[in-house]
Amino acid sequence: MRRAFTIYPNEHENNSIQVPSNRFTKNYLPMKKKKLYFLLLSIGLTIPMAFIQPVSAQTGSDTLAPQVTTLKDRISGVEDRIATAEADLSKLTKIKISGYVQAQWQHFEAANVFPSNYFTIRRARFKLQYEPAKGVAFVLQPDFQPSNFVIKEAYTRINEPWLKTFSLWVGKFNRPNYEVETSSSDLEALERSRVITTLYPGEYAIGAKLEVTPPSIPLKFQVAIFNGNDGQTYPDATGANANATDNKDFDNYKDIMARLTYAFKFGRWGGLTIGAHGYYGAVRATNDTLLKSDYTKNKVVKLGSALSRNWVGVEAQLYVDFLGGMVVKGEYIMGVNAFPGYTGSAVSSTTFSSSVNATKDTVTQTYTTLKTTSVAPNIQRNFSGFYVYLVKNIGKRNQFTFRYDQFDPNTKLAGGDLGIKGYKTSSTTTTTTKNTFGTAGNVLVNKEVNTTVINNALTSGTADLAYSQITLAWSYYFDDNIKISLAYDIPMNEKVGTANKVLSSSYAAPGGISSKYDYSNLIKQNVLTLRIQAKF
Amino acid sequence: MKKSKIITSIAGIILLAVITFAFMPAPKKITIKGSDTMVILAQKWAEVYMKSHPEVTLQVTGGGSGTGISALINGATDICNASRSMKQSEIDKLKERYGSLGIEIRCAKDGITVYLNEANPVKELSIKQLSGIFTGKIKNWKEVGGVDQDIKLYGRENSSGTYVFFQENVVKGDYATSCQTLPGTAAVVNAVKNDKYGIGYGGAAYSKGVKQCLVKKDDKSTAYLPTAETIKNGTYPISRYLYMYVRNRPTGEMKNYIDWILGPEGQKLVVDQGYFPVK
Repeated sequence: MRRAFTIYPNEHENNSIQVPSNRFTKNYLPMKKKKLYFLLLSIGLTIPMAFIQPVSAQTGSDTLAPQVTTLKDRISGVEDRIATAEADLSKLTKIKISGYVQAQWQHFEAANVFPSNYFTIRRARFKLQYEPAKGVAFVLQPDFQPSNFVIKEAYTRINEPWLKTFSLWVGKFNRPNYEVETSSSDLEALERSRVITTLYPGEYAIGAKLEVTPPSIPLKFQVAIFNGNDGQTYPDATGANANATDNKDFDNYKDIMARLTYAFKFGRWGGLTIGAHGYYGAVRATNDTLLKSDYTKNKVVKLGSALSRNWVGVEAQLYVDFLGGMVVKGEYIMGVNAFPGYTGSAVSSTTFSSSVNATKDTVTQTYTTLKTTSVAPNIQRNFSGFYVYLVKNIGKRNQFTFRYDQFDPNTKLAGGDLGIKGYKTSSTTTTTTKNTFGTAGNVLVNKEVNTTVINNALTSGTADLAYSQITLAWSYYFDDNIKISLAYDIPMNEKVGTANKVLSSSYAAPGGISSKYDYSNLIKQNVLTLRIQAKF
Repeated sequence: MKKSKIITSIAGIILLAVITFAFMPAPKKITIKGSDTMVILAQKWAEVYMKSHPEVTLQVTGGGSGTGISALINGATDICNASRSMKQSEIDKLKERYGSLGIEIRCAKDGITVYLNEANPVKELSIKQLSGIFTGKIKNWKEVGGVDQDIKLYGRENSSGTYVFFQENVVKGDYATSCQTLPGTAAVVNAVKNDKYGIGYGGAAYSKGVKQCLVKKDDKSTAYLPTAETIKNGTYPISRYLYMYVRNRPTGEMKNYIDWILGPEGQKLVVDQGYFPVK
C-alpha cells in the first residue's frame, strides 16, 4: 500500500526531512504538517471542480441533435450515390466482351510457297454483346488482321418472351450450318473442311434469320434469307473480283437457307444429333451463254437472268461415352453451284493500207479495225463434298482429332477430261464502209473495214479438280483460356490428265524460276501448323 | 497405296493412344464444386465417406451452381453439384469441349423455402404473390395482409442455381432491382433474421432462426410447408431435385463414391441435413 504523500528528499541536505525507506512505517510526519497537506489537498480538488459545468440532459440533446441530423444527411447522400453507382453498374453488366487470338507457325511443303515457313496471326477477334433489355442483344465482332480490319459479325437478335421459342436475327451472322456455326476458336482440326469453305466462304453473311428452338423439344429449325454473295469471288476478264463490294448484293436475287436438327439422347451412353439443310439461291448471268457441268452448252440466257445454285446436305454428330468423351461427326452436301461468266473489254487494233490503180487513176485507202473481245460463259457445276471427324478426349486436357474430307467441284467430269473438255465459240462480224471522192481519173476511195470478233470460251481445269485431305491434330488445354495445338494437313489432289494432255498450272518457284505442277501426279502440299490460342 | 499406309498407321496410333489412356487408373483425389445450397451436405458426405475410405481424398467447395458447371466444362472439377439442371447452352459447351453430353445424377430433393422474419405476421403466400413481391410489383406488406411497411427483398447472385430455379418457377420475370444480392443461403437467412420486414428464399435445410412461409399454388389452394411428405406427394409447389454432374460415366473411386451417396448411408445424411431423399 502506497502513501499519498511521500517525500523523498535530497539526501545531501542536512535539514531535509528524512523519510524511512520502509514506506509502510506509520506516523512518520508531524501532526501539523498532516493537517496542512490535507487542507492543500482539499483546496486542490475543490477549485477545479468549480470550473466543471454540470451536464444536464437538456444540454446533451442540444449538442447531439445537429450531429445526428448531419450524419443522417450524409448517409442519405451516400445512399443516393450508391444508387447511382448501382444503376451505372447494372448497365455495365449488360455488356459482355469475349475474344481470342490465334498465333501460329506454319511449315509448307508445297513448292510454290515462299517463304516455306513463317509465323502469323491467324485470327484476332473480340466480340461485344450488349443486352439493353431481356431478350434483345446487339453483337459486334471485329476481326483484326495484320494489314486489315473487317467486321465479321454485326447483328441484332430479338428473342420472343412468351413461348421462348422464336428468335429473329438481322445483320451479318453465321450461315446455318454445323461447321460454320462452330466457333473458329473451337475447331478441333484448326480449319474448316474444304466443302464448307468453298460453299460458305467467310462463314458470315448479311441477311435475316428466324430460329425456332422450343424449350422442351430437342429440335432446332433455322430459316434465313441472305444477299448470297458474301465472300464469293467472281473473276472478271482481268482476273479481278467483280464481287468486290462486301456490304452490298451482287444482284437482285436473294438466297434462302434452311436447316433442321434433332437431338436424341441415349441415357448415360451419349447422344446423336441428326439434321439436314438446304440452300436455294441464284446469281445473275453476266454472259448470254450458260454451260452445263460437262462444259457443253445448256442454253442461251438473258443477261442479268438468274443462274440457280441449289444444294442439300445431311449431317450427324454422335457423342459416345466410350473410354471417355468421343465424337464421330460428319456431313455430306451435294448440288449445283453457279458461276457467272464475264464480258471483257474489247482489244482494238487499226491498220492502214493504200493501193493505187494507175489505169483508173484511183487511190484506195483502207482503214482496217479489228476489235477482239474475250468473254467467258456462265457455268453451273454439279458438285459433292463431305467430311468425317473422329475426336477423342484423353484425360482432362488432351484431345486428338482425325478428319477426312473430300470435295469434288465437278462430278460430271472424269479426271481425264480436265484440261480437255471445254467450250469455245467465236463469232466474227465485218462491216465495210466506202466513200468515194473525186471524179473519174482522179478518184480517192476511203474504205473502213471494221471487224468484231467475240471469243466465248471456257476450258475445264484446276477449278474442276477434286481434292481430299487428311488432317491429324492434337490439342492440349492448359486451362479454360489457353490451348496449344499441333496439326498436320495432307491434301491430296485428284490425279488427272491423259497421255495427250497434261493438266498443269504454272507457278514461280523461289529464285524466280518458273515451274509447273503436273496434276497427273500427287502434288505435295502438306502443311504443319503449331498454334497457340488465348481466349477470354 | 501410299494413302492406305497412311490411314492404317493413323488407325494404329489412335487405337494405341485410346487403349493407353482408357485403362489408366482413376484418380483417388476427387474434386467437387458447385452449389452453395448443397455445400454443407456435400461436405458432410465427404467427411463421412473419407472416414471409412481413408485412401480417397475428397475436396469440396461451393461457389454456386453456375460456377460449378463452368468448372466442369473447363476441367477444373470432377463432380459438379448443382441445384438446377444444366442449360442447353452449357451442355453445348460441354459437347464442344469434351465431346460429352454430361451425366446427370439426381442425389436429393429440396423444397425451396420462403423465409420470413419470425415477427412478421404474414404466414402464407401464393406463387402469384411471391412473383409480385420479387418482381417489385408488390412493394408493401399490407398488400398481402401484413403491416404497412415496405418489403425488403433478399436473394442470391445469378451464378446460384437457387436464383435460377426460383426465377424460372416462381418469379417468372426479372427480379426487382431492389432485391439485394447475397453470397449464399446462410447470408440470406441471416439478413431476414435481422430484418422484420425482410423476405428471402433458399434451401429448406438452412431455415433456422427464421419462419418458413406456407406456400400455395394459387389463392384457392391450401398452403403447405416444405416437409418430406408434401415434397414427396407434390403438394408443396416449389420443390426441386439436387444434382451431381460428371463429364463421363463414372468409374473407379468416383463411381464408388456416387453409389455410396445414392445408397442408404448417403441418403440418410441427406435427411439429417434437412433435405429429402431422392427416392
